[in-house]
Amino acid sequence: MTSVTGITRRTALGLALGTGLVIGGAAGAWAQEDPVVIGYQLPLTGNTAQYGQDFKTAAEIALEDFNASGRLPVPVEIIFEDSRSDAKEGVNIARKFVDNDDIVAVLGDFTSTVSMAAAQVYKQAGMPQLSQTASHPDYARISPYQFRNITTQAQEGEVNANWLWERGFRKVAVIAEQTDWGQAVVQGFTAPFEEMGGEIVYSEFFNRGLPDFRSIITKIQRAEPDAIYTGLFYEDGAQFLKQMEQLGADIPVHSTSAAYNQKLVELAGPAADDLYLTATFLPTSEGEHVQEFVAAWKAARDGQEPGQFPAQAYDAVNIMLDAVVRAWPDVTRESMREALAATEDFPGVTGVTSFDEDGEPEKQMTRARIVDGVFVEVQ
Amino acid sequence: MDPYYVQQLAIGLSLGMIYALMAIGFTLIFGVLNVVNFAHGEVYSIGAFAGLLLITAFGPPLLAVFLLVLAVGAATGFGLERLAFRPFRRFSDEASLKSRAMREATLMSSLALSIFTREAMELVFGSEFQTVPLDYLINEPIALGPVTIVTGDIIIFVAAAVMLGGLQYLLTRTATGRAIRAVSNNPLGAKYVGINTNRTIVLTFVIGSMMGALAGIMVGLYYGAIFPAMGFTPAVKAFVAMVMGGLSSIPGAVICALIIGVSESLATTFVSSVWADMVAYSFLLLTLVLFPQGLFGKGRDRV
Repeated sequence: MTSVTGITRRTALGLALGTGLVIGGAAGAWAQEDPVVIGYQLPLTGNTAQYGQDFKTAAEIALEDFNASGRLPVPVEIIFEDSRSDAKEGVNIARKFVDNDDIVAVLGDFTSTVSMAAAQVYKQAGMPQLSQTASHPDYARISPYQFRNITTQAQEGEVNANWLWERGFRKVAVIAEQTDWGQAVVQGFTAPFEEMGGEIVYSEFFNRGLPDFRSIITKIQRAEPDAIYTGLFYEDGAQFLKQMEQLGADIPVHSTSAAYNQKLVELAGPAADDLYLTATFLPTSEGEHVQEFVAAWKAARDGQEPGQFPAQAYDAVNIMLDAVVRAWPDVTRESMREALAATEDFPGVTGVTSFDEDGEPEKQMTRARIVDGVFVEVQ
Repeated sequence: MDPYYVQQLAIGLSLGMIYALMAIGFTLIFGVLNVVNFAHGEVYSIGAFAGLLLITAFGPPLLAVFLLVLAVGAATGFGLERLAFRPFRRFSDEASLKSRAMREATLMSSLALSIFTREAMELVFGSEFQTVPLDYLINEPIALGPVTIVTGDIIIFVAAAVMLGGLQYLLTRTATGRAIRAVSNNPLGAKYVGINTNRTIVLTFVIGSMMGALAGIMVGLYYGAIFPAMGFTPAVKAFVAMVMGGLSSIPGAVICALIIGVSESLATTFVSSVWADMVAYSFLLLTLVLFPQGLFGKGRDRV
């Protein structure tokens, strides 16, 4: 089916070229008006809709700037499809995108689980896929067509393991949500930490959206760890930190960049203070790109500050658009893959990005801490 | 006794109270119509959002918030009955009144209304947690020896006790309560003896939804987590509590809600937290297999 589509596509291209030769200028001019089309699969409704909505806003900011800049003679268009963070839906969308001959590359999905399910379709069809957030170690290895603009938990876990070790913590409790990503968080941290000689005294997974962490917290207290390493997102993070404070559990908490969001502080209030976490994006940093993006985001979202995820989506879209420019005028799925793979030192708001041969980004991580409700960099 | 288990027990009881708060209104409505009101979870979310809007707009005292939420709950219950239930009671001939299909069609209509309401709320408010002013949270810790509870536990306990006591009084000691029980027992018979069944059903929905909405704002402030899909999990737990309790026994549902809460909290000690969610479903299965009448059922109904 997919190979048939490929042939049809080539045939269609040949036909178009032939017609172009016969009819001459008129057809050429018409063909040039065709926009370059990119698909974006993301959760716009359902439990994780807020992330998808953020990605969409970020993509629109990036796309508008790009189309206004005139770097390409034709506009670029993004088709958004709602995957509801459901793997089945993600695969359906992937099939739809693959069948649409206009689409040359795809962005998304949000979660590792959905991204990896859709990746199987893209792998077979030879469609380049760039996820802004899928951080499961296996994702980028699925095929040469998968790229991501987020550090893996293997990279982030090692940074955190070093950090906790430096702070003198030897016995650590690890909790994470029960997802592909959460498993990767635990593995990414546990392996390097145990290699250093540290001990994991407790580890537990929970279902995302668990309202009550108190049973788990009580259990952690009984294990008497020096610190807790958590793989959770900001909403679960806020619940966890509030209930830690409620139960008077005075144990330092570390987390990953996934918890990085201004809403965490809004939801948890003072309970969020002294959370330590790694991040790739801080809206307070000085870089020119960062301040431009923060200003555009605030204009689009009533003065709110962007979190790390929208920043990653913004960079992912820009990396994609940059690849379109380099692939132009021969923009096909294959040339887009080549162009994406050749991305080097792309200056984004989440740091300078290059892809290695697996489609993994190489990025610097920042160490941050919440002090009086503000994320500040830890030197 | 190991303070660890005492603390887990306290957490379990407070979880159970939260489920009970939801189960009371749920069971009341089920009792009178013998169908599940799938929109009860949304009544709960609406209550929480109404309270939150009032808090962010005017910042009134907590008691005023609860009173307004009760009023919103009453209006929601009235609207819910009108939209999802009344249209299926349009025909008053004997065949339609006895028809299970007519009655059970409301399963679908209430489910439809529930999905519609939740999606509409997600469109308007977004699916994420709303920011709740921290002063309004009812989670000030209170230390009782080795055990820590919070102010919300006491508020929720009092609310559940008042609801339960009030309802028992209403159902057993007043004419209205007798009418509700009559309709619940035999709607056709109730009609023949001159009870205004429509009015009784509306009243039940109003009372049940008031309790649902109040539960929503209380639990919302307890956890500081208010979002459109917040009603789903408690509704599932309330449903299980109701089935375990024998479908139409409100005290039975409350006791079973407590059992579920405590079991979940203790289960976390022995199995992974991910499996603690299985507790409620296992209870549901065990009840259906071993106690077809529920733990506190009258023997009249089979679950």
